[in-house]
Amino acid sequence: MIALDEIFIETSLDTFLEDARPRLKNIFSRYRIPPDDTEDIVQQAILALLYRLGSVRDPQAWLIGTVKNKCLLYWRDQRRRLYDSVDSTVLEWIARPSSPEQEDDDIRRDLDAVIETLPSRCRALLSLRYGHGYEPPEVAARLGYSASSMSKITTRCVAMLTRQLLIAGLGRKKI
Amino acid sequence: MTTNTDHPSREVLERFLLAQLPASESRRVLRHLLTGCQECQTNAGAAWKSTQPGAMSLPIDPALDARYDEVLDRVFQRVERVEQVLARERSQARELLAALEPHPIQRQFLMLRNSAKFRSRALCEQLIEASQERGFKDPERALELADLAIEISRSLPEETHGADPPTQLESRAWAQSANAHRILGNHDGAERCFETAEELLAESQGVGIFDEARLYDLKASLRRDQRRWTEALELHDRVIGIYQCLGQRHLLGRAYAQKATVISEVGDFASSTSLLRRALELLDPKEEPRMFLAARHNLIWALCETERYREAFALLFHTRPFYLQAGDRMNLLRMRWLEGQVAAGLGRSEQAEAAFLEVRRAFGELSLDFDGALVSLDLAVLLARQGRSTEVQRIAEEVLASFVARSIHREAIVAITLLKQAADQQRAEVDLVRQVSSFLRRSRSNPELAFEGGSGLEVPPRTAS
Repeated sequence: MIALDEIFIETSLDTFLEDARPRLKNIFSRYRIPPDDTEDIVQQAILALLYRLGSVRDPQAWLIGTVKNKCLLYWRDQRRRLYDSVDSTVLEWIARPSSPEQEDDDIRRDLDAVIETLPSRCRALLSLRYGHGYEPPEVAARLGYSASSMSKITTRCVAMLTRQLLIAGLGRKKI
Repeated sequence: MTTNTDHPSREVLERFLLAQLPASESRRVLRHLLTGCQECQTNAGAAWKSTQPGAMSLPIDPALDARYDEVLDRVFQRVERVEQVLARERSQARELLAALEPHPIQRQFLMLRNSAKFRSRALCEQLIEASQERGFKDPERALELADLAIEISRSLPEETHGADPPTQLESRAWAQSANAHRILGNHDGAERCFETAEELLAESQGVGIFDEARLYDLKASLRRDQRRWTEALELHDRVIGIYQCLGQRHLLGRAYAQKATVISEVGDFASSTSLLRRALELLDPKEEPRMFLAARHNLIWALCETERYREAFALLFHTRPFYLQAGDRMNLLRMRWLEGQVAAGLGRSEQAEAAFLEVRRAFGELSLDFDGALVSLDLAVLLARQGRSTEVQRIAEEVLASFVARSIHREAIVAITLLKQAADQQRAEVDLVRQVSSFLRRSRSNPELAFEGGSGLEVPPRTAS
């Protein structure tokens, strides 16, 4: 096994990066990362490697493993943004109904119908959040959760709601 | 469900899933999906699936390949420029570290605070590495170096050529400080430092899992010292998972070896043996010869504990060159001690006795009384097997006198007193000597452990200390 600084003495950073190129492209393709979004991922990973000259043992494996992990984080972030967007859209509906009364009723009915298909704990949480406009501390108190875990639990339930909206397309049975 | 014919296009659905739509548009798509429109759910589901990693690598579409190349060209050029800057910074950092070293610690802190040239990421990295290297050799200095690194990390600018944020570096510095506190026996201080390190790590967006592994690795050592085995094992498992993901074979081997140490502590030598074998397949003896030797040594030990003396004998034979290469007296004495144990297990009593006597004498010269007592008890087991009860009695007397003189912890004295009583009555059977020996080994890192062996013997009052 050769340490990174030895590699850079024996070859060069340029050779090292060119060796990594095909594997990096394969990872991005496999993880379906849009090209524009790969720039930050790969730059951060390579710079992190350069800063850790002393402690990384197998630089190619390290770089590939780190980039893979960053690709997973990328999608985790994207998902979180989607869930936040769904959540804030629903909250906005409830706070500021802007459509005609009949349409608002329809939205509420459709939302309730989807929520009704979720597991009981999420059903209870989302009904309090969307149906009664409860704030997270109030939901925590009503359902016996700790206040500090509310954010995670809420995200999990909004994730279930979102997936339920896509169920037909995902080809899965209802949750 | 209501009906809504306002079907979003495939492209809009994709942008919805990427949370890239303006609020009003997002609201429109969500409204539509709420109606349960099968066609749009199918399209959205397909778009969702297309963002999941594929099971295997397929040939990349040439147009996409070209776009990836464009990005990589840009990044590689930028990185090469940054590397030149970093190389200069690293070289300057070595000089700065050398400039700090001769001064008293308070002066070193003053220099960091008063001079902007010390606010260097490379210097901070080198202080963390230096703290890690000092570890057991000079834990006081290791702590100072880690604290200096904390000081610098707090003054670093946010702009770091696009690398990890300074909070991540600060987290590493706190973790290193925690480890130095642990080595110095300050578990509360270590605990507080780890809390800060973890908070900072959680704050760092897109955190590198390598740093997570290092933090968990150090924290596992604290949990091991605190004898919180379950937590220590959980942390080791997380470290193992990360090093597997990063393809760090040597570090993975190290993590297996460290997990094996915890498992040995709880007495599961069979599991420890298999973990150590896995560790040895991964550890690179050229990379870290001492770690490799320690893993081999622990494996031979575990084999003896599970009475697999033939395997232990073969492995010891092949490990001898590594002990000799390490060359220091302690490693050679440990090897000789193992030779005695293996010989005793194989029924070669004369060889075993000679080895134990030699090691016991050497530990005496080095004033390593506790180790000397453990060797004495290995010798006592051998003698008890041969019915040489008078010699067992003499060993019990010697160990007891040494423990009392050195104020060795109370429970150890209780155990040896019981052994002496039994020996005085010619009742010091092999099993009792083994119980006392095993107890002393375990109580070494846990002086609160109570001796519960020696049934049928009168337990002396626990007043000695």
